[in-house]
Amino acid sequence: MKSKWRKIRMRTIVVHLLAWSVALIWMIPFLGVLNTATRPASEVSFGWWQLNPYHPTLDNFIKALTQPVFSISKGYVNSLIIAVPATLVPIFVAALAGYGFCRFTFPMRDYLFLSIVLLMSVPAQMVAIPVFQIMVNLDLVDNQLSLILVHTAWGLPWIILFMRNFFTALPLEVEEAARVDGASDLKIFFRIVLPMAIPAFASAGILQFMWVWNDFFFALILIYTADKMPATLLVPKLAAGQQLTDWGLLSAGSILVLIVPLALYVLLQKYYIRGMIGWTIKG
Amino acid sequence: MIVLIVALLMITNVVTGLGVYYLAVPPRAGETITVIGPWAGAEMAKFLPVLDAFTNQTGIKVSYSIARQEDLKLILPVQFTAHRSPGDVVFMTSSFIKANGPLGNALDLTNVVDKSAYSAGALDPVTGTDGKVYGAVYTGKVKPGFWYRPSFFAAHSLTKPTTWPQFTSLLSDIKNISTVTNPIVSGDGVGWPLSDVTEHFIATYGGASMHRNLTAGSQMWTSAAVRSVFANRLVPLLAAGDFSAPLTWDSTAIQGWWSGQYALYFMGSWITGMTPPVDSSDLDVFSLPPAPGVTGGIVFAADYFFIPKYTTKVDAATQLLRYLASAAGQTVQVKQGGHLATVLNVPANAYPTVDAKVAALLTGKDVLVDLDDTKGDPFQANFWSQLKGLWTSSNPAADLDSILTSIQSQA
Amino acid sequence: MSERLAGIRRSLRLPSFLRRGGGDRRTARLGPRGRKTAARVVFLAPALVLVMFLVVYPVLQTVYLSFVTSQGTPTLGNYQGVLTDPTTVNPTGLPWPPPLGTLIHNALWIAIHLPISLFFGLWLALILRDVKGSSIVKSAIFLGMVTPMIVGGVILRFLFEEGPGVVPAFFETVGVPSLNKSWLVFRETALLGLIFGSVWLWTGFSLIVYSAGLTTIPKDYFEAAKIDGTPPHRMFFRITFPLLRPMTLVIITMTLLWELKIFDIVYSAVGSTGGTRNSADVLSLQMYRYFVAGATNPGYYGLAAVVATLLTLLTLVGTAWLFRKMVKR
Repeated sequence: MKSKWRKIRMRTIVVHLLAWSVALIWMIPFLGVLNTATRPASEVSFGWWQLNPYHPTLDNFIKALTQPVFSISKGYVNSLIIAVPATLVPIFVAALAGYGFCRFTFPMRDYLFLSIVLLMSVPAQMVAIPVFQIMVNLDLVDNQLSLILVHTAWGLPWIILFMRNFFTALPLEVEEAARVDGASDLKIFFRIVLPMAIPAFASAGILQFMWVWNDFFFALILIYTADKMPATLLVPKLAAGQQLTDWGLLSAGSILVLIVPLALYVLLQKYYIRGMIGWTIKG
Repeated sequence: MIVLIVALLMITNVVTGLGVYYLAVPPRAGETITVIGPWAGAEMAKFLPVLDAFTNQTGIKVSYSIARQEDLKLILPVQFTAHRSPGDVVFMTSSFIKANGPLGNALDLTNVVDKSAYSAGALDPVTGTDGKVYGAVYTGKVKPGFWYRPSFFAAHSLTKPTTWPQFTSLLSDIKNISTVTNPIVSGDGVGWPLSDVTEHFIATYGGASMHRNLTAGSQMWTSAAVRSVFANRLVPLLAAGDFSAPLTWDSTAIQGWWSGQYALYFMGSWITGMTPPVDSSDLDVFSLPPAPGVTGGIVFAADYFFIPKYTTKVDAATQLLRYLASAAGQTVQVKQGGHLATVLNVPANAYPTVDAKVAALLTGKDVLVDLDDTKGDPFQANFWSQLKGLWTSSNPAADLDSILTSIQSQA
Repeated sequence: MSERLAGIRRSLRLPSFLRRGGGDRRTARLGPRGRKTAARVVFLAPALVLVMFLVVYPVLQTVYLSFVTSQGTPTLGNYQGVLTDPTTVNPTGLPWPPPLGTLIHNALWIAIHLPISLFFGLWLALILRDVKGSSIVKSAIFLGMVTPMIVGGVILRFLFEEGPGVVPAFFETVGVPSLNKSWLVFRETALLGLIFGSVWLWTGFSLIVYSAGLTTIPKDYFEAAKIDGTPPHRMFFRITFPLLRPMTLVIITMTLLWELKIFDIVYSAVGSTGGTRNSADVLSLQMYRYFVAGATNPGYYGLAAVVATLLTLLTLVGTAWLFRKMVKR
């Protein structure tokens, strides 16, 4: 009997050790970047785990934030200017459409819905050339508005899927009752359905915000002047310096760019996970 | 509820609209002209005094804006189609200026710039196919050869080589020093350090004419003459481990070189302006020893600039262009070290000592333009990528032919 | 005679599924039903307009571009150009080392990364069921998914660089000095470095999805099996894994999609040429290079369009069937 308990305890210990070592090993690269970002670059040339000499400093972060051309603080502002509208607008528009696909019947509805959802798998490269041409014609190249428009349209397919699945799960009775009372579709939507959809908005919102914040490719083809660049676009600029690559600066800049989606994830983890699972797995 | 949603949407759109409006407003007009250049940090700090000197002389204010040439390559054509320009004087690659001149995007400078005031051929890279001059030339940096610390050489009784056998025996002597990993350190960055070294070999052993032909595209990389320069000079050194693997961390490269882990570092003359640990009082340089009967060349990477046709301040921009192209303007720049003038009557005593040494290395050799900068992309990115392959190959001799073929495919 | 007329009229009618809400088309007017329809259009219109304008039209336009020259004449030359280019498939390089061509590189990426991250995530999800503080462990592993991929590329450069990097130093200490070099600079190891790096970044996804999936399996199943005396591995293969099938399918599809679309990491870690001698080149990067070249030489737009179209075909094939499942009510 004692040996059985010992076996179980051994097993538990081993499993715990295993799990925690995996987590630790997983974090090593991040620790490395953090370490490099908080020390002068010359100290780290031969391995950031060399702790002799060790002079912790916030200089790299300050340099990254105040860099004359590619400053991360300007990058933050630009990323926000793009990400906030590009999150709010598609969520709202997609909620409308998702509800429409869910509650209304009309010819070809399911085919139309399927085609919109299929657009999710189209890579950004597929639309790059014409979108660039469109923005040239609208004189919106090198202008954040172009990115807002693109991200709004680009986010719609998956958010529509997400919203439709969400609405499908809502019980019909409340809406039916309101309809019997003579309320119009729009009124039902705004008065009854929307308030119930707040958690879905939160999940879709955080996912879309992070997607837009983390985007690089669209920004790469649409934004060219340094003071309009969103934060992600600045990272390679910090990397390829004029003559030298300042790795302290690069690490600090990377951490600064990474911290925003990370913080959002930590704060709104519940919604993020639910959002991610929600539209990949039904129910 | 509906009121809230509609209000939120409206606010978002108004904010976006206002933001776009303010961000899309064109630069204010005035008697300030804008110069666009690629220099940042320490380099920019050396350029601004030149602009200040111009302002003191003419009263025209100049604002400097940084844009990398690879970005300008994409944004300028778009702006030109809309008949706009982000700057009044723009520094750009010669290939771009040469292409855009006949397209009508650059001002014709044939009557503004006097070719005879510059070293022979200095303005050829910005002369269009119609014979007109569309750009001007500023100062440049030379890529003279291998830099070393005289103190290191003295400590190990090494001397500068003047012949090829002396060079190879120097390398093996260095290899015998216990603290040395490789005699020559290879920087990496995006890849230009490797192309600079390669061009030096081509210019010295293939000759200035081979270098020019390759730049113009009239000679093939796969031709026997070019191949032999690689096969007989560069590849044996690579195979013998005389070059280090490309190091992306330039701080590792420089620190290693300065502390004795490596002995030689092929660099351009801007190294004299570099920050510690590099100390220009303990710096010297030698070029690859010439081969008998071959007129060698040294790459002089000059900076070219032009005036976009769509600028609204043609007169002020032309004044600045004249100044930057003149002895007065270029002297202000070269006095600070790291640059050499392209205009002919800049006195020798305007140069700091080390730069004078570099200028001395130019005697007897032809002046060449930077090959990959002149050819531009897609040749340049591919060239760098293939050279990295040559440097990291386990058998460079065997890979040489496929690498040369790949380089030629984008030439 | 009238019968024949009636038959003709019937055959001229629109098929029923195209007719509005049943009934004879002739009587449909903008009555109360019509007004309702108009209001309902408001729901779908904004989304459809945006998607049409900025997604559907560009997709069609790109397909069109892939079939024309820069003058506008129809041609298959673009496809021929791309498919015979050694950048896309490099037969002389097979089987090893890279560069093998972007198609092969993407395929290799899928072949190596997908199984490893899938099973590793599954294994982690299984053992983390009984671990205290598992949410912290899961968050640590999931960090990679939250990271902007451009930063991910920087971290990989960092990880694999000789000198400051952990991986080369690790191999040096365990006695494989040949791997103590900057992985991303050498053609033999560049692609592999990136692939293993992406496993590190992406395993969190399969972990989280499987973790969520495991919670949906009712405990009674396991209780019953335990009572029956089923050995653990039998339990896994007979009960757990089959019940996790929907999650497995989702993970496979999303990972496939991600690997085909991969761009940021490669651009950031090895540059737009895809590294030394294009040894880590991928389809999306190839498309980007053609796009940039198109600014000075419009013929390249056709080539870019071809690569984009091929990429889209691959992603559609890989994911279409899953999306159909997601769409069904």
